[in-house]
Amino acid sequence: MTPDVMAQGTLYALRQKIAQIEGQLPEKLEPDSESGRTVLRRNGRPCLAINTGAEALDVALGDQQPTLVDISGRQSRDSGAVSGFALALAARACRKALRDPRWVLWVGLDEVFFETGLPYALGLEHFFAQPAEQLLLAHAPKLEDALWIAEEALKAGTFSAIFLELRGNPGRLDLTATRRLRHRAEQAFMPLFLIRHSGSSEGSGQPSAALVRLCISPAPSRFRHIAGEALPRSIGPPAFCVELRKSRSGRTGTHWLEWNADDFTFQERTAPGQGNRNTAKTSHTGSVLSAPFHGPHSAPQIRSPLADERRSG
Amino acid sequence: MSAAPAEALPLVISERQNNAQRVSALDEKAQAAGLRRGMGIADARATHPSLEVIEADRQADQRLLEGLADWCDRYTPLVALCDEGDGLFLDISGCAHLFGGESRMLEEIAERLLQQGFDTRTGLASTPGAAWAAARFAPPPGEIADGCEAEALNPLPLAALRLDEKTVTGLESVGLRTIATLLDAPRAPLVRRFGRQLANRIDEALGNIEEAISPRLPVSPLSVERHLSEPIGTLEEIESLLRMLATTLKEDLEQRDEGARQLQLALFRVDGAVSRISIGTSRPMRDPIAITRLFHEKLARIGESLDPGYGFDLVRLAVPASAPFKTHQGDLAGREENEGEGLALLADRISARLGSSAILIPERQASHQPERAISLARFAQARPVASSAQPHSPIRPIRLLTRPEPVEAAAEIPEGPPFSFRWRRALFRVARAEGPERIAGEWWRASAPPARDYFRVEDTEGRRYWLYREGFYGEGESHPRWFMHGFFP
Repeated sequence: MTPDVMAQGTLYALRQKIAQIEGQLPEKLEPDSESGRTVLRRNGRPCLAINTGAEALDVALGDQQPTLVDISGRQSRDSGAVSGFALALAARACRKALRDPRWVLWVGLDEVFFETGLPYALGLEHFFAQPAEQLLLAHAPKLEDALWIAEEALKAGTFSAIFLELRGNPGRLDLTATRRLRHRAEQAFMPLFLIRHSGSSEGSGQPSAALVRLCISPAPSRFRHIAGEALPRSIGPPAFCVELRKSRSGRTGTHWLEWNADDFTFQERTAPGQGNRNTAKTSHTGSVLSAPFHGPHSAPQIRSPLADERRSG
Repeated sequence: MSAAPAEALPLVISERQNNAQRVSALDEKAQAAGLRRGMGIADARATHPSLEVIEADRQADQRLLEGLADWCDRYTPLVALCDEGDGLFLDISGCAHLFGGESRMLEEIAERLLQQGFDTRTGLASTPGAAWAAARFAPPPGEIADGCEAEALNPLPLAALRLDEKTVTGLESVGLRTIATLLDAPRAPLVRRFGRQLANRIDEALGNIEEAISPRLPVSPLSVERHLSEPIGTLEEIESLLRMLATTLKEDLEQRDEGARQLQLALFRVDGAVSRISIGTSRPMRDPIAITRLFHEKLARIGESLDPGYGFDLVRLAVPASAPFKTHQGDLAGREENEGEGLALLADRISARLGSSAILIPERQASHQPERAISLARFAQARPVASSAQPHSPIRPIRLLTRPEPVEAAAEIPEGPPFSFRWRRALFRVARAEGPERIAGEWWRASAPPARDYFRVEDTEGRRYWLYREGFYGEGESHPRWFMHGFFP
């Protein structure tokens, strides 16, 4: 234990020096009484790391410093998955760093709230343990107002996460605007989730200064298990298909994740589509992983052709 | 009050009284020509064919009078309209010294109104009744010193007592023509014959009983103001002045150990128009910088509609509502102890800019109805609730449509989940479903919806929805209806 403490002391002294040079308040290492970990505070605020808990995706994401995260969905009917993924990232970030109340600000345009519904506090509590009393909803008639609210909230710095919800790729949200938001978010050490519904039809059509860009679509969930038995036709934990389009490590790719609301972590899972192409491979992947994975894989085989037929017709 | 252009015909205002068009007001020329109030218009025209007659417009008069009342707010916050609709009461108790004494104040008001083109009659007395009489019947400037009400009123006609016409004619018919004669007459028979009102009016005029004027606007317990010799017009100037006023206000608030919950900025334009800008705060506030920032948002929002004209020459910052102020101490490392403070300020700024309904906070309600279980309250009005998270909350969607949207669904009869449904013109095939979860209507409320069976369904592409069926298959004639209500992650 002793060398650890010594190392921490040196580290702390160095940090203090850097802070002096930068003219900021020194970072503060605070012992977290519950877990015994140390929490890093910068400018008097804890650092909120952006990660998923799924190793492959975390490696691809690179640096975990809070910044502007651009999360988009293909269609507005995917709103549940898109906002759910953003909320999960936020929940992870605060869960790791904070014991204090975690105020969350959700800024949306009126039209978006009308189309995709308002965030529902009871659901947020159930899936992401976000207390209803610490959610603030701001709705703005125009994009400029929404941007203003988000920016002021970042300046005020009292939130643990801010969500800015838009529809499509508005022309006003150009490179300058996103750079501004990113800069503010990085200064405040606070994640800002830019949620765009039906905003990724043409890939990344509009330039964005966000360092992290994700495209989320829902994925069929696995069955719910009770005492090791899969319940037929049941709906398991939320599942997502995450397409990493831009990251700080430069890597991109598609990941299939599942949200574990009890552990506050994402778990990697196999792509449900794989079962279609190669049945032999499916059974193989299943046996490598834990037993319950056998359950869901039979289902997509029957369903997917139906869906494809309909789409083509 | 009448504004007359220089070379014009004699002007009279006509109004329908007792089924005949009569002269209700007239200008000096018409008066010089021998016309009187109450004369029939036909008679007036007969004597003076070149007469300009204008129909009376009571509402326009009222608007003008209110505009004047606004302008008079610069002298005292207590401005009331006369019941007769032809004058204003200004309660100048405690304000006169700001303008160099009562007489100087009266002169200034009369002069400035004259400059604006109004011919006014003024009266100044210790009681509203005496002032009313002085303004209308006493020779200008119509000042009645404190304690000399009876003396001053004695020679005036009975109408000076604000009596109705019937009473006046009645009194005149018994030979009482001036107030002096009325005061000398024994009280009891008069009251018996003409009613209690007569005695009240006499006592009110003499100050024997208190008469309160009812001000148009609520009076703020605290206010600070600044008169400017050079009018200001730009937003920057207004804001810097506001900052100064807020600094002064802070001392006053500190003395009272209070913070402002509501603030009103009144901008008095040189030509008399008054703009009032109000903001509310979610916590008691007294920090000048914060106050200025709040007004900055509000001013930014109304920027175009605020017309400075030739500039504002009086700016007043008032506190219509205040509350006890609690002070905090922060820690040296700069960690924000009073996190709520920053939050409240941000919320206030958002409400100042976008209206108080722009920032909402969910509040838990005791209801099983999903849309009623959480109500959205305005941040400023929300009451702080202790966290009461339930350990085993039912599975609820993370987004809820403000209004459930009808869907066409094909479902298993009698109470199974849907196989497929059509929502917003797209067809969704259900791969999995969980349910039903029956949420019964709250029958104890009058407008409660019927029972609903909720299903969590997942479509073939993995989207998860919250659908419900209202009504039951095979019960009654009408088919049950399906609705989309929310979305799961």
